[in-house]
Amino acid sequence: MSEKPVKAIKLNVINEPKDSYTGGKSSLCPGCGHDQISSVIVNSAWENGLEPHRIAKMSGIGCSSKTPAYYLGQSHGFNTVHGRMPSVTTGANVVNKDLTYLGVSGDGDSASIGIGQLIHAIRRNVNMVYIIENNGVYGLTKGQYSATADVGSKKKKGATNETQPIDLCAMAINLGCSFVARSFSGSKKQLTAIIKAAMSHKGFALIDVISPCVTFNNNDESLRSYGYVKDNQAELHSVGYIPHFSPLEQVEVPAGSFRDITLHDGSTMRLETISEDHDISDAVAALGALHQADADKKHVMGLLYFDGEKPALEDDLELHDTPIVEMGDDILRPSAAKLDDVIAQLRG
Amino acid sequence: MVIPRRGPSLRGKPEMDKVVNDFTINIATANGTGSQSANLILLQTLFDMGIPVSGKNLFPSNISGLPTWYIVRLSDLGYQAPGDRTHIQVLVNPATWDEDLAGLEPGTVVIWNTDSKMEMNREDIISYPVPMTKIARGLNPKLARMIANVVYVGVIAELIGMDQQVLEEAISKQFGGKAKAIELNSEAARLGRSYCAENFTKSDPYTVEARERKEGGFFVEGNEAVALGSIFGGVQMLSWYPITPSSSLAEGIIAWLPELRTHEGKATYAVLQAEDELAAAGMVIGAGWAGARGITATSGPGISLMQEFIGLAYFAEVPSVFWDVNRVGPSTGLPTRTQQGDLAMLYEGSHGDTQHIVFIPGTVEECFEFGWRVFDASERYQTPVFGFSDLDLGMNRWASHGFEYPDVPMDRGKVVLTKEQLDSIENYGRYRDVDGDGIPYRTLPGSGLDPILYRGTGHDEDGAYSEKPDVYYKLMQRLKRKIDGARDKLPAPVMREEEEQDIGIVFYGSMENTIEEIDDILEGMTGKKVSTCRVRALPLHSEVQAFIERHNTVIILEINRDAQMNGIMRKEYPNHLLNKMHSVAYSDGMPPRARLYAERIMEVLKEVGA
Repeated sequence: MSEKPVKAIKLNVINEPKDSYTGGKSSLCPGCGHDQISSVIVNSAWENGLEPHRIAKMSGIGCSSKTPAYYLGQSHGFNTVHGRMPSVTTGANVVNKDLTYLGVSGDGDSASIGIGQLIHAIRRNVNMVYIIENNGVYGLTKGQYSATADVGSKKKKGATNETQPIDLCAMAINLGCSFVARSFSGSKKQLTAIIKAAMSHKGFALIDVISPCVTFNNNDESLRSYGYVKDNQAELHSVGYIPHFSPLEQVEVPAGSFRDITLHDGSTMRLETISEDHDISDAVAALGALHQADADKKHVMGLLYFDGEKPALEDDLELHDTPIVEMGDDILRPSAAKLDDVIAQLRG
Repeated sequence: MVIPRRGPSLRGKPEMDKVVNDFTINIATANGTGSQSANLILLQTLFDMGIPVSGKNLFPSNISGLPTWYIVRLSDLGYQAPGDRTHIQVLVNPATWDEDLAGLEPGTVVIWNTDSKMEMNREDIISYPVPMTKIARGLNPKLARMIANVVYVGVIAELIGMDQQVLEEAISKQFGGKAKAIELNSEAARLGRSYCAENFTKSDPYTVEARERKEGGFFVEGNEAVALGSIFGGVQMLSWYPITPSSSLAEGIIAWLPELRTHEGKATYAVLQAEDELAAAGMVIGAGWAGARGITATSGPGISLMQEFIGLAYFAEVPSVFWDVNRVGPSTGLPTRTQQGDLAMLYEGSHGDTQHIVFIPGTVEECFEFGWRVFDASERYQTPVFGFSDLDLGMNRWASHGFEYPDVPMDRGKVVLTKEQLDSIENYGRYRDVDGDGIPYRTLPGSGLDPILYRGTGHDEDGAYSEKPDVYYKLMQRLKRKIDGARDKLPAPVMREEEEQDIGIVFYGSMENTIEEIDDILEGMTGKKVSTCRVRALPLHSEVQAFIERHNTVIILEINRDAQMNGIMRKEYPNHLLNKMHSVAYSDGMPPRARLYAERIMEVLKEVGA
């Protein structure tokens, strides 16, 4: 009998195992695309060799915004209020510019209640990664359409959505966002590459990730319905593999081509990876690709727009090299002599 | 009584019963016409002559063309309220002419611009008609509208006997270093002066006499005092959204920061003009979460928008400072008028059970002091802390003789900065009450020390999500205990107590500037001496309750409709005190006039037989 070989633990460039980047157990529906994104976040941070404690994980409210509990357990984080993560992150960023800010949001959080804050964070070019886990529905409140739901999409129960969706990538490009990408929770390889690049980018990096909701694009009769999940939750969690809730298959679409993905409810989604000829510095071409994909009923994926030269908010503020939060009280409180100067000036 | 034009000179005028340093001047102009500079010159000159004086700017929510009144009160007794009546009225604005004129008591002095093409239809006033615009046009046709204002300053100066040299110094101060503007305005004042001297016989009693001037005095707005206090409190991040009457607080911080807080040529602070008050609040909380001193300044509408975030900061225990410069609500209300209408909203801001620390300055010196103290309290108690000012205190100029440099080092609270510190705390948990004072320890993002995911959802002592009944109950009890523990560590009330301990008045904030006059009027009416107790913070200091215990009848006096402080007291105080507590709450948007409040207090005292 030969002994099993001891498997060496793989370390990254700063000698950390991947375990240093994992978080708590997910309480999302089994098979949720968001969990796949969480695992990509873990991989990306590990592969990039970021120090776990120098990452700040930020979120708003919703299914997506719960996920910071499921990754990067050694990082401080802030699960803020609905749609307001950008402002909290902005405040933290300007006083401690040396952390890597990783924001996770959803389409309700970003395209509806928080669209104003998202727009202004883009406008300021806050140095952060901003991942939108986009499924077109409000999951946590049981499946209402969000502002990114496509016209004509239909829940099994309820009316067809007739309201024009907001394309957050097109919006971001129009706002001059310095890094805009779209990906798919099932395209692990592409998504990892994009998130790793975003983590290295200085400025606002928006990543719109299509992440189908396995629960609310299903009809009530289905074994994949909310009722079924609720009634069978305990069992579902204890079983390793439930066919109805299997994660979406891995989908890697070569550059310039497309593939149809069949979703759990039988509908299909056509994913296209932007061609290698696409000039990422050309905002007009990026918008053209988005509009063309829309006309063709496709979702175009990949890095759509990039501007590595645009000054970030922290540059505009002409901050001292030492993060403000690390400054001593002697620097923060002016001297008594300075107060005398002030009073003298007030006296005129 | 109308004085004919071309009357005998003022010089060699007969003696009459003089009213010295005890009258009110009301100047009615339109905003955007440059009258503010002229009015400030008038105020500064009187102040520099050593005369106790105060100025109130009653301005519209508008940039140009709407009515503005500036009220200058001279009072040897030091009264700073606007006073009950106008003694000298300056009429420049045709829009309010008739109404202003109709409201004057017989015998009022009226200095009016004959170029306004308005009629003087009162015979029972003392009239001084002056062609202000014509005089100004003769000096500089382009700027006539602006410098016409300085012409009336000159007329007033001659009429009440202001010192010309002091006046010219004040003009020089107002236009700091701009030689052309100084010369032009000085000449306009001289022309106003000589027109008055050559054309009128003084037929009114109002005069000024210089007093011994206390050296080192200056005028400062409450908002600027808070701004400076914040900077000496080590502010690290300011986020704000413009709103009257708080904008000048934020702008004061912005104006002084480069001079006071540049280190090695770089900023040691960040300023963010937010997209709205929600974002401003979020930024403050983000900065506080990261370990910095963040501040925002707003008014009632902004605080309304910030409510959700205030609850987050309370529940997740994030230091954050909010200044509310109160204007008149509800809704958009009267945006340029004053009130104490936001107190209850601050004290119990946000949904669910909350309770917040509120600092309430009553003077510009306290605006400075509380400007830095709020940061210490916020970091000590890891909670949102409010500064509560109002338009009257914040946007008017008040005389001051200086600010005290902070007498204690910055209190950064229970922040764990090193591994050794963390290890020395037995059973550390972000929300565990290790010391028994309700205040937990915290580590900062980036430190690698015991990281947690902050959240607005229910959480246990380690910060993990929890909906367990006992966990929630204990957490809420600890938060209550934490804020309760702050009571006697916050600024104690200022009490002026009479031996009789019969009638006591409890009040707060900008009412400080009217209370002395109210007190004197009451004493005149009742013959009784009245004690006063000025509350300076919430939750209420134990000395406030002790003051009420010691007095037979207590009036709770405030500038709002709903008796908000009274409500807070009634909720917290034992039953045996409630019967002797009586409310006088009144608000009409105007800065408090002493007689109006005194009469209301009298009514209540009569009613209860005190």
